Amino acid sequence: MALRIEKTFQVSQPIEKVWSILSDPAKVASCVPGAQITEKVDDKTYKGSISVKVGPSVTDYKGEVQILRLDEQNHEIEIQGKGQDVRGRGSAAMTMTGKLAMLDGGITQVTSISEVNVVGILAQMGSRVITEVSNVMFNQFSQNFQKLLNQSIDQPPVANSATAATVVPAPVPQPPEPIEPGSIAWQAFKQMLSRWLRALKSMFSGQSA
Amino acid sequence: MAKKQLVRVKVNGRDRQAEVEPRLLLVHFIREVLGLTGTHVGCDTSHCGACTVVLDGKIVKSCTMFAPQADGSELLTVEGLMTNGNLHPLQEGFKEEHGLQCGFCTPGMLMSSYVLLQNNKKPTEEDIRWGISGNLCRCTGYQNIVKAVQFAAAKMDQRGAK
Amino acid sequence: MQQTTPEVGGMGHSIKRKEDLRFIQGKGNYVDDVHLPDMVYGHLVRSPYAHARLKSINTERAKALPGVLAVITGEDLAKANLAWMPTLYFDKQMVLATGKVLFQSQEVAFVVAEDRYTAADAAELVEVEYEELPVLVDPHKATDPSSPILREDREEKSNHIFHWEVGDKSATDKAFQNAAVKADVHAVFQRCHPAPLETCGCVADFNRATGRLTIYLTSQAPHAHRTLFALVGGIAENNIRVISPDIGGGFGNKVPIYPGYVCAVVASLTLGRPVKWIETRSENLQSTGFARDYHMTAELAADSDGKIQALRVKTLADHGAFNAAAQPTKFPAGLFSICTGAYDYPNAFCEVDGVYTNKAPGGIAYRCSFRVTEAAYLIERAVDVLAQELKIDPVELRQRNFIRPDRFPYKSPLGWSFDSGNYQAAMDLALQKVGYAELRKQQEEKRKKGELMGIGVSSFVEIVGAGPAHTFDIAGIKMFDSAEIRVHPTGKAICRMGTKSQGQGHETTYAQIVAQELGIPAADVTVEEGDTDTAPYGLGTYASRSTPVSGAATAVAAGKIREKARKIAAHLLECSEEDLEWEPGKFFVKGAPSKSKTIQDIAFAAYTNIPEGLEAGLEAVDYYDPPNLTFPFGTYICVVDIDKGTGEVKVRRFVAVDDCGNVINPMIVDGQIHGGLTEGLAIAFMQQIDYDENGNVQGGSFMDYLIPTAVETPHWDTDKTCTPSPHHPLGAKGVGESPNVGSPAAFVNAVVDALSHLGVRHIDMPITPWKVWNVLKEKGVVS
Repeated sequence: MALRIEKTFQVSQPIEKVWSILSDPAKVASCVPGAQITEKVDDKTYKGSISVKVGPSVTDYKGEVQILRLDEQNHEIEIQGKGQDVRGRGSAAMTMTGKLAMLDGGITQVTSISEVNVVGILAQMGSRVITEVSNVMFNQFSQNFQKLLNQSIDQPPVANSATAATVVPAPVPQPPEPIEPGSIAWQAFKQMLSRWLRALKSMFSGQSA
Repeated sequence: MAKKQLVRVKVNGRDRQAEVEPRLLLVHFIREVLGLTGTHVGCDTSHCGACTVVLDGKIVKSCTMFAPQADGSELLTVEGLMTNGNLHPLQEGFKEEHGLQCGFCTPGMLMSSYVLLQNNKKPTEEDIRWGISGNLCRCTGYQNIVKAVQFAAAKMDQRGAK
Repeated sequence: MQQTTPEVGGMGHSIKRKEDLRFIQGKGNYVDDVHLPDMVYGHLVRSPYAHARLKSINTERAKALPGVLAVITGEDLAKANLAWMPTLYFDKQMVLATGKVLFQSQEVAFVVAEDRYTAADAAELVEVEYEELPVLVDPHKATDPSSPILREDREEKSNHIFHWEVGDKSATDKAFQNAAVKADVHAVFQRCHPAPLETCGCVADFNRATGRLTIYLTSQAPHAHRTLFALVGGIAENNIRVISPDIGGGFGNKVPIYPGYVCAVVASLTLGRPVKWIETRSENLQSTGFARDYHMTAELAADSDGKIQALRVKTLADHGAFNAAAQPTKFPAGLFSICTGAYDYPNAFCEVDGVYTNKAPGGIAYRCSFRVTEAAYLIERAVDVLAQELKIDPVELRQRNFIRPDRFPYKSPLGWSFDSGNYQAAMDLALQKVGYAELRKQQEEKRKKGELMGIGVSSFVEIVGAGPAHTFDIAGIKMFDSAEIRVHPTGKAICRMGTKSQGQGHETTYAQIVAQELGIPAADVTVEEGDTDTAPYGLGTYASRSTPVSGAATAVAAGKIREKARKIAAHLLECSEEDLEWEPGKFFVKGAPSKSKTIQDIAFAAYTNIPEGLEAGLEAVDYYDPPNLTFPFGTYICVVDIDKGTGEVKVRRFVAVDDCGNVINPMIVDGQIHGGLTEGLAIAFMQQIDYDENGNVQGGSFMDYLIPTAVETPHWDTDKTCTPSPHHPLGAKGVGESPNVGSPAAFVNAVVDALSHLGVRHIDMPITPWKVWNVLKEKGVVS
């Protein structure tokens, strides 16, 4: 089950500040609801986990995140995440390209294009829900991202030549709360329902031969 | 494991009660705790209606309720349709009009039709088809089930029975 | 055939069903209703991946859950040589996975616990580590060198299972070369599922005190299953009792032996307690016997008058991960070679290739004789395409080519000997009932106004009643069937047959055969099936074989009883046997009808006044080896209207004329037709078990695998013609499956007919509104 998700949002922060967060997988992970980076294997590879709860079922994925491409000049990052359900109920893989662009008025536009592939039980029962869940997750991500950006204004800027040891640590990783079914699934459901109702309305108001 | 809860119901006129896990589905409560196996399980997405029973006068799919939710209610299952050893007109209708083949959907069909006829004494064919649209059947193609309900409606109309 | 009175209820009477009484009171006894003391429950852990290596299974957390009694894995079964089991068609299938998994939802471990909910909880705690492997879901790619080889256990490292061909290739090719007209169609019969309302399951009860294993089983073939359990499990067959109690629909889904059954048996043998395993609906749709998945191409060669000269067929069969097809052994593609249809022509050639993919194993015969639905669909589509090519009315084309009544028994170019048929008569009745000529006029007028209306015809021939011992066997067991009848002193009777009803009304219809042959009222005849301890050996009920084979056995057994009854009557009436004449229910002296003895008198005498030289009792058993199959047929005509705005197809009218020879109970036959047509409707318009590129099942629950409700189902208009089978003792043929066999083509032909003026020649099933709307868009009818 392959899904393509394209999302764009804007932040009123200079592009270099935004880039400093976007280019750091640990920081990005901290914004993804339910996710956590657990180990840095090397400069390009991290081990991590994410806990997704849809309704009463919780899926814990454990896997790897790899930076495939990091383009400082053009502010583009391409990462690949692959995870397996620890209880053997499936797997998920995602490739995401994140791009920054500077707009007028000191606004930076963040665009992400993701290809998500889900295998297993979720891909059967949850296939309709996956798109909506991804949407809701992304909305939460962008909120967290912005919050993180605003926080880091108060931090001294990172010197470019800093080594790993002096990198300003990401906000202390809390044990990630599994995404709440109440919030995500319900929001996803509400979104799905309002889409269907809109479609139904247009079907009945439209003319059929 | 969650603490057991007491569930008290009046089933087919009899008072029954048991302590059960709160997550026990009503259909399992009926089939296994109360021992009334006429109500069936046919799916896991609440589509098929084989589990249909009457709860406080309304049809419900008992696979989509937890037993504690029925606490204090009145339940009617297929086993409660006969009165004094006499078949209910619906049961007669299903027999007379060949409204069943394998019999698995039949209890659910009977309960849905029972409430349909309570609320609508002179249903049209369309009324009947909508009335049983929550009950799937793989054997009969529904045609004779419709005739069975019409048979019952006519008979009940005749005798002015409830 | 002598007529019986309605009180006796022999052939032709629509007596009410005897089995109904318990079902309408909710007192049926289905497998999940079976409750034994000390019983425990099983739950399967299944693979989420379509193709993966099994790296490890950790059962510790599951075993630690209070109430869990055992967790069985493939490794455990392998120690007892039970990790694999034979399928019904020359292959083997994993009971629990070892090494790798080959389809999503494949069985990986079996948890046994004190109650259902604990078993399900524990199944969630089983931790399985997989390594994903590349997935193969497109059968057309199965033999590509770049595709993964799925079955490492086979000697031949290939995804190709079999190649089968029949017919005269060179004569057929020659006919095509010389043909004035040719037409071809590529038709996919999509993977679907019988989905009986009751899922599969069992209660396996090994009794340590008696050493006997009793299995309550959702089985359409209890004796065959008993023998297979004995052979595979190494348990003495006299210590196994299989009981198929009431079955909530079968449709072929309950013919195979499933891993869940084997696991439950193993668990019961190990624990010495009854083990119940009932699958959920999702498990049923995702792992048990699917049907169809045939990708077919048919070519017809004809002369310019539309006389068919030859048929050429090539088919790709997708069997999933294991060839678990339930077919007679000589027929890897079942009876698909009936695809020559109702038409008379000399040349045909047919080839079928079977392949493995990462999908659930199978395929079974879903409410059809083996692969006959695929065959009937193909020829009826091809004939319509030929009609379009020739610009001849599809009814007219069929009539030009029908096998005429005087050609029977008809030897088809692919080797079958059709026992009897009168295709024109069925067609005539259908045309008259539906008002065909008027409908065509109406279609003309509607087309002028831009309205879409279609008329679809299907004149199908079925081949049922497998089958003669010289050609038919399943897993080596010949396909005879049986009946045992015993008459009691007070003139009532009990019968047992080797078949097993799943709703077809055998408790009534077999009683009616006995009523016909012996004059004992059907109400006085008890019919039992399904208990292998008491019923004579039979191959079960599927492929419409009960009436043709066991029904014949019943008639023959009753005939044996009648012959003994004659002797007793002669003794009682003090005359010779030759002086006696029979009418249903009594023997009387020729010319002196008042000198008679009823069958009840005779029965009593069989125990109280036995003639010298004769044994006491009045009973017989017969194992019937049918000399041939029977060939029911019919014409179905479907009228549809298409909504241009939504692409929705509405079935306005459906006329079904069936011919199954002499009918036992017309009411029951009509019921079968209604049910089968509804299944055909579902297949034509709404059903498919599809897989995405990762092997995720897309039709895995009733959310996606749609079953029509009373609202979608139209009214079915049924009628009959009667062309008896010359070789069957009652002149009867099977009929339960004809509607599922003949109707898909009627529905599809109707939709294509509605769009033929736009140049549409074929649309694959399921014909969803989305598909139709896209065709309309493509043809510029809507924007």
